Amino acid sequence: MRRAAAALLALTVGCVLADSAVVTLALPEILERLHTTVGQVAWVLIAFNLVLAVVARPAAWFYKGRDPAVLCAAGIAVFAGASALCAVAGSLDVLVAARSVQAVGGAFAVIGCLQLLVDELTERRGMAWWIAAGVFGTAVGPVAGGLLTDAFSWRSIFIVQVPIAVLAVPAALAKRRRSGQGLADETQEHLTQEHLTEERDAEERDTQEHHAPKHRVRIRPNIALALLSAALTAALFLFVLLLVDGWRRSPAVAAVTVSVIPLAALLARPLTRTLRSGPMAQTTSGCLLIAGGLTGLALLPSADLAWTIAPQALVGLGLGLTLDPLTLQAMDGRTPLFRHGGWTIAARHAGVVLGLAILTPVFTADLRSAQPPAEDAITALVLNAPLAPQDKITIARGLADQLKQDSGRVPDLDPAFQQLSVPAAEKPAVAQLERDLNLQLQRAATHAFRNAFLIGAALALVALLSLIPLRRGGVR
Amino acid sequence: MTSAARLRTAALPALAAVLVSGVLAVQLANGGGRYSPLRPANSCLAAPVSSVSTGIDGLTEELVLTGLAAAACQIGVSREAFALQLAQPGTRTDAQINALRAGLLTAVDSLKAAGKLPRASQLAREAVDASNLSGLRKAAIRAIPDALIDKTLTTDDVLRRTINDLDLRALLANLSDRQKLTTQVDTAVTKAVMERLADDLH
Repeated sequence: MRRAAAALLALTVGCVLADSAVVTLALPEILERLHTTVGQVAWVLIAFNLVLAVVARPAAWFYKGRDPAVLCAAGIAVFAGASALCAVAGSLDVLVAARSVQAVGGAFAVIGCLQLLVDELTERRGMAWWIAAGVFGTAVGPVAGGLLTDAFSWRSIFIVQVPIAVLAVPAALAKRRRSGQGLADETQEHLTQEHLTEERDAEERDTQEHHAPKHRVRIRPNIALALLSAALTAALFLFVLLLVDGWRRSPAVAAVTVSVIPLAALLARPLTRTLRSGPMAQTTSGCLLIAGGLTGLALLPSADLAWTIAPQALVGLGLGLTLDPLTLQAMDGRTPLFRHGGWTIAARHAGVVLGLAILTPVFTADLRSAQPPAEDAITALVLNAPLAPQDKITIARGLADQLKQDSGRVPDLDPAFQQLSVPAAEKPAVAQLERDLNLQLQRAATHAFRNAFLIGAALALVALLSLIPLRRGGVR
Repeated sequence: MTSAARLRTAALPALAAVLVSGVLAVQLANGGGRYSPLRPANSCLAAPVSSVSTGIDGLTEELVLTGLAAAACQIGVSREAFALQLAQPGTRTDAQINALRAGLLTAVDSLKAAGKLPRASQLAREAVDASNLSGLRKAAIRAIPDALIDKTLTTDDVLRRTINDLDLRALLANLSDRQKLTTQVDTAVTKAVMERLADDLH
């Protein structure tokens, strides 16, 4: 039962932190269904991360001297309610507002879950569960969101969160009954000697916390977490955008493709065990792998999905090697724990916002600058196509209309060809032209994302640099 | 720190460096970094043009493609960029129209030099058939023997007259209307043929 409660709390942490990037693959559908613009729809992502970054630290302050179970349950309930509101939102304004409320509830839920997991398990194991759940959520978020969007709709992403959160509320409140002033009879009956010992330990911890000096926040691991989160935004946000919008892959195909990242992240732990690497070696290697993976995504030789596997695997392995030890470094031995946990959440989500703030203008500007060369390439192909002049003119008109309609985005050229009526003898040439044109668009889109990926790689290297003084001085 | 511990500390970063280097090397060796849209050819370098169409349609297409490149070269842009400029809605500048006309005239010379121009009689008959001339005038022209037309007219001369006489602004405006476009071109060719014949008769 204790395990089940702990698992539900960890699942809630994963769910909240997955929300950081869970809607990435759903953004094109939200854009279409809610009749909005690219710039506005980005706020579905930005609002959640921004509010979570801003609220995480004050939320941790709120926990001081209060029952974490009650605040945590309230946070989870707010998160569930806001998720339900997101699912039924009929306009972008409502969706962004609901996402902001979701982040407020999420902040309280995540901080509370940390405290409850530590109380439920041991400090070290509770932290490990909490950190692992966060890393898992971050890595799996885009995959889950893509699969749900493709199978049902973007609304299903939020619908599935509601039952998970609803189940976690009693799991959080159950902890209150055990550690509160009055223990329930049935709970008392089942308390073993081990439980009693743990209860004493928890009480001792509480006493120590009241008298223990408050540790100052560890700056370097938090800065590194922020910079790495900014860098990972390139992989978790921009890469899925490239797959869906640039290469015209379905959300399901994109989700399966980006599943390489969480799968590679799972390899991090066995690898460090095999090599018996310390935290510094892990974080150094992780930063290097993320930088290398993002550089690989910037230098793709084609739009073939197979080419994305190795760079993604590097990013995933890097993610698994860095987030875990860095979060641990920021929190280990620090009191009060929830305050330092709050700092890591704030740092990570501020990093996501920083990444979006830096990378979005870069790739949108690059996408705009990619338009003239792409148009030139398209024009050259149409002019040289082995088609009757009038058919070329008809195709050119259709393409121009499509480019105008999809201004600011990678255009979908299919409609220009669907309405085309050509003699049977010309059909193979038309099909070849359509393939060639789509290839040019893929080339243009891939090229347009290059600088953003390289900036992401640079952010990962800056994160590595921010850790170097730690190495010289040793981990304090 | 023992050498074993040092080795353990260095193993993971070394492995990471090897993995990153390996992935990037394979990608670069396979064209990574060069995956970008095709660059338009230099409009001043003559590129072979061809058409799947025959008759006036095919000739017109080859003339237009060669002429676009020559015009683009004259104003210092690519053929594709010039085509896109002309495709923009709104009025075309005199510079664009003059460049296009000069480019088309250059194209006539190029096609003549390449031996791609059809005989004048072939051009004239096709143009007359498709033109909006009266039935009587069409019959009168059809009565002229091919040999006489080919002796009297040269295709490049007819084309030059046609190009000089064509309202290029109207032509560009008619691009989306096949009927109007064909009629405009054929009427201009027929007019050029008639004027040339009239000149000779005088």
